[in-house]
Amino acid sequence: MEFGLIVGLSFVMAIMSFWAIEERNLVRATHIYTLQTLTLVGIFLAIAWEYSIGTLYIWAGTAFLTKVLLVPFLILMLIKKIEIKHEEAPFGGLFHPFIIIGMSLSVAILLEPIFIRFSLLKLQIPIIVSIFVFMLGILGLVFRKSAVKQILAYCLFENGAHLTLALTAYNAPETVEMGILTDAIFSVIIMGALAMRFYHEFGSLDTSQANELKG
Amino acid sequence: MYGNMNIALNILLIIPLAASLIIWMTARGNSRRFLFALHLLAAVAASAAGLNCVAYVINGASFTALNDFLLFDSISGIFVLVISIVGLLINIYSVKYISWALDNKEIEFKDARLFFSLSHVFIFTMLLSVVSNNLVLMWVAIEATTLSSVFLVSLYKNKRAIEGGWKYVIICSIGLAFALYGSVLMYSSAYHVIGDAHSAMLWTSLMEHAKEFDPDLMKVIFIFIIIGYGTKAGLAPMHTWLPDAHAEGPAPASALLSAVLLKCAMAAVIRYYMIMNTIPDLSVFLPRIMLMVGLASILVAAFFIIRQNDIKRMFAYSSTENIGIIAAALAFGGKAGVFAVFFHIINHSVTKALAFCTSGNLQEIYGSRDINRMGGLVRIAPLTSVLLGIAMFSLAGMPPFAIFTSEFYAVVSGIESRQYFAVALFLLGLAIVFYGLVKKFIQVAFGKPAGEVVHNSEVSIAANLPLILLAAIICIIGIAPPEGLITLLNSAVSMVVGQ
Repeated sequence: MEFGLIVGLSFVMAIMSFWAIEERNLVRATHIYTLQTLTLVGIFLAIAWEYSIGTLYIWAGTAFLTKVLLVPFLILMLIKKIEIKHEEAPFGGLFHPFIIIGMSLSVAILLEPIFIRFSLLKLQIPIIVSIFVFMLGILGLVFRKSAVKQILAYCLFENGAHLTLALTAYNAPETVEMGILTDAIFSVIIMGALAMRFYHEFGSLDTSQANELKG
Repeated sequence: MYGNMNIALNILLIIPLAASLIIWMTARGNSRRFLFALHLLAAVAASAAGLNCVAYVINGASFTALNDFLLFDSISGIFVLVISIVGLLINIYSVKYISWALDNKEIEFKDARLFFSLSHVFIFTMLLSVVSNNLVLMWVAIEATTLSSVFLVSLYKNKRAIEGGWKYVIICSIGLAFALYGSVLMYSSAYHVIGDAHSAMLWTSLMEHAKEFDPDLMKVIFIFIIIGYGTKAGLAPMHTWLPDAHAEGPAPASALLSAVLLKCAMAAVIRYYMIMNTIPDLSVFLPRIMLMVGLASILVAAFFIIRQNDIKRMFAYSSTENIGIIAAALAFGGKAGVFAVFFHIINHSVTKALAFCTSGNLQEIYGSRDINRMGGLVRIAPLTSVLLGIAMFSLAGMPPFAIFTSEFYAVVSGIESRQYFAVALFLLGLAIVFYGLVKKFIQVAFGKPAGEVVHNSEVSIAANLPLILLAAIICIIGIAPPEGLITLLNSAVSMVVGQ
């Protein structure tokens, strides 16, 4: 039953990730990201319960404090200051959703056998989902034009990597997880500050307008 | 001895971090002198601490500290040597450069405070990355180098600087995400072999067990690592952030990025290469990948160098070329190849620091980075023209300057490994770069100025003093490298080749 819960939450996380990337309203996208991260915390708790892995309770706690509470708060503050609520159309037009789903799923299915071979937890679906979310985030950074949406995409791939780490290497020294989390929070803060400057200079969040540097 | 080293290593990391905090918290009264004095004091102290650590490992000794989280060996020693000496001279130059920027009202005092404070955090993150014995801690430190330097790149509040900074943080984040996956995979596979979570993350343990790792998995990991850290190092085709970030930041920030930061990312690549190079099944795969990205970097950069008119972008592309030289020399292998790798890391750092700092002088003189608006430098500022000449001729690979020597070793290693076609492409790239750089130097030094000359005289000796020292180092290394340096290089080479 618990195994079913882990797989079920993994599917929810995958759907939430895609929704967060595709939602054009920035406030709503941030809320969906929060739910996606809450699902990640749920997966950590379900795995910790099912496999009696005490460390993952701590991971769930720190992820809740930093990623469910702090990071969305920072992003919502940024959106409030900037007063831009909607993102511009991404690169790729109508084909965009198909491109990112196709590419992310292909990479996830391709890499899953390699990851699962050395993974501490041989959970096929969650591993595929973790790589899928990671790739969605990477492609979000590439295809989305809004600076805020790119920050959300960064957070998504960070969540994907976090889930991969929990599945393949939950026994890694805690300093490692703390180091990665600290980097992630500082990244959001610094990218947010830079997005503010971007807005003040360009009067927009559309990063495709920044095209002076060539050659 | 071990206890001393443990303390020395802790001091090495504490000084720049503490300096950053002190500068940020105390230099608030608009007193330039106080800010500059704090910055210089911290830079000298950090450099002394670095050189003290290097002295311990010249003869090949290695030490671990902080529950094995830190490692200081000859390889770390080379990178810390670069950060200590080149970092110090850039930091000294930055005082004058920031002074100009304040005088010209390009920045405010609070921006100067931010610049100096972040410079020391940046130094800290680079030091941490090269002395880290833990592969994920190394990733954390390299990711932190991006975060600590992005506002150095975007110090000027204009569209170009913000565009450069944004591209820098986005592209490097994408690249480093792949490096994180590579690191996690490396840990997972090492844990299966070693069976201990702590040891499976340490370079020292990974080296001991390298031959037991799965070759197919190592290939996948290496691809992740070369995309990840290769992006940060500026290897083609992942180099696109580099000309934008290097060109738009203040000259000392560009110098730190190019002369030091790129090498820290290469340090990570070298550590992985060392582990995987011991696996017989990878003896063809690894050099082939390194050679491909190395030659691609050299040739792509050469193409952009000859058609570039922005002097800082030209130097930025030259960084991609030189990182390509390091990758190609690593691929050629053998003692000569690995010697060329470490020697070139030092030579390029010193030369590129001089090149970017001199570009700061040029901006002060011409008020522009456009080579087409420059000319007559020999008459306007003879000393700056000599310094620029030394930097550009060294970058062009002309004897007797430093870079010629390491490029020579790289070519020798290519011939020894009988990769004649690769050597031919390597030399073709260097020849194009030589033509491009010499032509541009002649235009700047002897051409007729096409634009306005804002500052029609030599810049002050205070600005030029650190540059004179950098030029002297380039000449000394090229003509008669110090014995201690050669010993340190040989110690590092034996760590890689002797496995």
